[in-house]
Amino acid sequence: MIELINVPSLTTIQDLGRYGYQKFGIPVSGVMDEVSARLANYLVGNHDNAPLIEFVLKGPTIRFRSSAVFAVAGDVEVKLNGVPIEPWQSHWAKRGDVLEIGTLKSGVYGYVAFAGGILCDKILGSCSTYLRAKLGRALKQGDKLKLGYAILTGKEGKVLPEPLIPRYSNESEIRVILGPQLEHFTEKGIETFLSSTYEVTPNSDRMGYRLEGPEIEHSEKGADIITDAIPLGAIQVPANGKPIIMLADRQTTGGYAKIGVVARVDVPKVAQTRAGGKLRFKAIDVEEAQQLLERREKTLKAVEKLLKNKARVYRIKIEEKKFLAFVERDE
Amino acid sequence: MFPQFKPAGDSALVIIFGDRIDEGINKKVHAVANAIEKTSPDWLIEVVPTYTSIYVYYDPLKLGYQEALDTIKPFLSAEPKEEKPRIVEIPTVYGGEFGPDIEFVAQHNGLTIDDVIEIHSKPLYRVYMLGFTPGFAYLGGMDERIATPRLEKPRLKVPAGSVGIAGKQTGIYPIESPGGWRLIGRTPLRLFTPEKNPPTLLQPGDYVKFVPISEKEFWEIYKREWGEQK
Repeated sequence: MIELINVPSLTTIQDLGRYGYQKFGIPVSGVMDEVSARLANYLVGNHDNAPLIEFVLKGPTIRFRSSAVFAVAGDVEVKLNGVPIEPWQSHWAKRGDVLEIGTLKSGVYGYVAFAGGILCDKILGSCSTYLRAKLGRALKQGDKLKLGYAILTGKEGKVLPEPLIPRYSNESEIRVILGPQLEHFTEKGIETFLSSTYEVTPNSDRMGYRLEGPEIEHSEKGADIITDAIPLGAIQVPANGKPIIMLADRQTTGGYAKIGVVARVDVPKVAQTRAGGKLRFKAIDVEEAQQLLERREKTLKAVEKLLKNKARVYRIKIEEKKFLAFVERDE
Repeated sequence: MFPQFKPAGDSALVIIFGDRIDEGINKKVHAVANAIEKTSPDWLIEVVPTYTSIYVYYDPLKLGYQEALDTIKPFLSAEPKEEKPRIVEIPTVYGGEFGPDIEFVAQHNGLTIDDVIEIHSKPLYRVYMLGFTPGFAYLGGMDERIATPRLEKPRLKVPAGSVGIAGKQTGIYPIESPGGWRLIGRTPLRLFTPEKNPPTLLQPGDYVKFVPISEKEFWEIYKREWGEQK
């Protein structure tokens, strides 16, 4: 069991999301940065979907009421009993130890995963917190969270190789698949969208990031559509011409025309961009986006095996180019 | 011309059955959505039926866009079954602080506020789809005499139970949320209860009747539905 001593606002429990209920209007929710969260879970030997703590900009302080193995994902200073320790590594904590997580130096969302995962009362099949509909609630000081059973021995001391640690930037190129309502925009509007720089505004949260920048021109069909569904990363453009990128807590459906959908591999990049950060958009086709996703998943699966000692990673240099080679034992 | 198919990002595709809000088109949407859902293949994440389209969320690691299309096409022949619909009454206070935009809706359409209430509470509205937020029902059948465009800039907070108009559509906000609809009234009923199964008061295919009530009646029902919580 762990006890939360100090809890910055909007600290929540999340998993990979609540699927199957969008047809009732229930948002998917789940972690904002799927990659960082999954890496945190892999570091402690969990599966992808184990419930973990998500924090925004500043991390919580946690007291362990029993032994545990944990890992912190994020560009952040971490202390265990006042002694600095590394994020992106798994550590052993014993009863009474205190974990302090500082303020993120880059990025927006950080994660704390525990071997065995956090036990929670699932709502509609998921532990993901969706504050707007009171599905779960924000964590607060004094909360005690039970951890799932896990064999702890051998799970501590796992290290994510440095080149695999996600880097969060405040200036990114975001790949998008154009559509599905491209006919609601003029050629000039699409050109504006693909050639301009947009800034993330402070009016951005788990639901969506509102962007500031050149107005995107609608065609004679206008900004309103017959309401349809909103996939993760959909870019809506209301009548004011300013795009909104729809994220984890997005509503399931909406009535603004969508100029494009962010490729899933780039959704974490968007989520980790702070207010004031700049985004540019590049169109790719659906096949390319799916290949990029496949490649990312191969890397993540390799990392999972690596951290379970089922593979090794080598840094190799071929003609001055650096590569990471994952070598799996032949069993 | 229809159905049309398009990618909606790399993990969803959309099948479009028409370009207008129409009961027949919507019945077809739900019939095909149910048929796809029933087979529950391992690549299918979920299906979201809307007014005129179906979003099929799939796992692109299991099959690509083209392959997903080919797999789905045989289901397009599914036809709707005839069933007797359910009618759900929605008690509503119109205007005042409960519906701050009702005056705008009246002015925009050259009507009085009483006309708006009369016109809005007369029809039986079909529940075409749920979406937007938990338990939100998109209703069809609104009289075009009270049609009003959405707000240019959505409100950051709309209270639970608010009844609004967006273009030719009307609906009820089940939970407090941001939104761009013109608000004309508010119901004390709870449209989303996560502990219940199903978690939503309204289901696709239901019919809704708005019943004007007083502020006093609003608070009586509100207490019964929501307890003391605000």
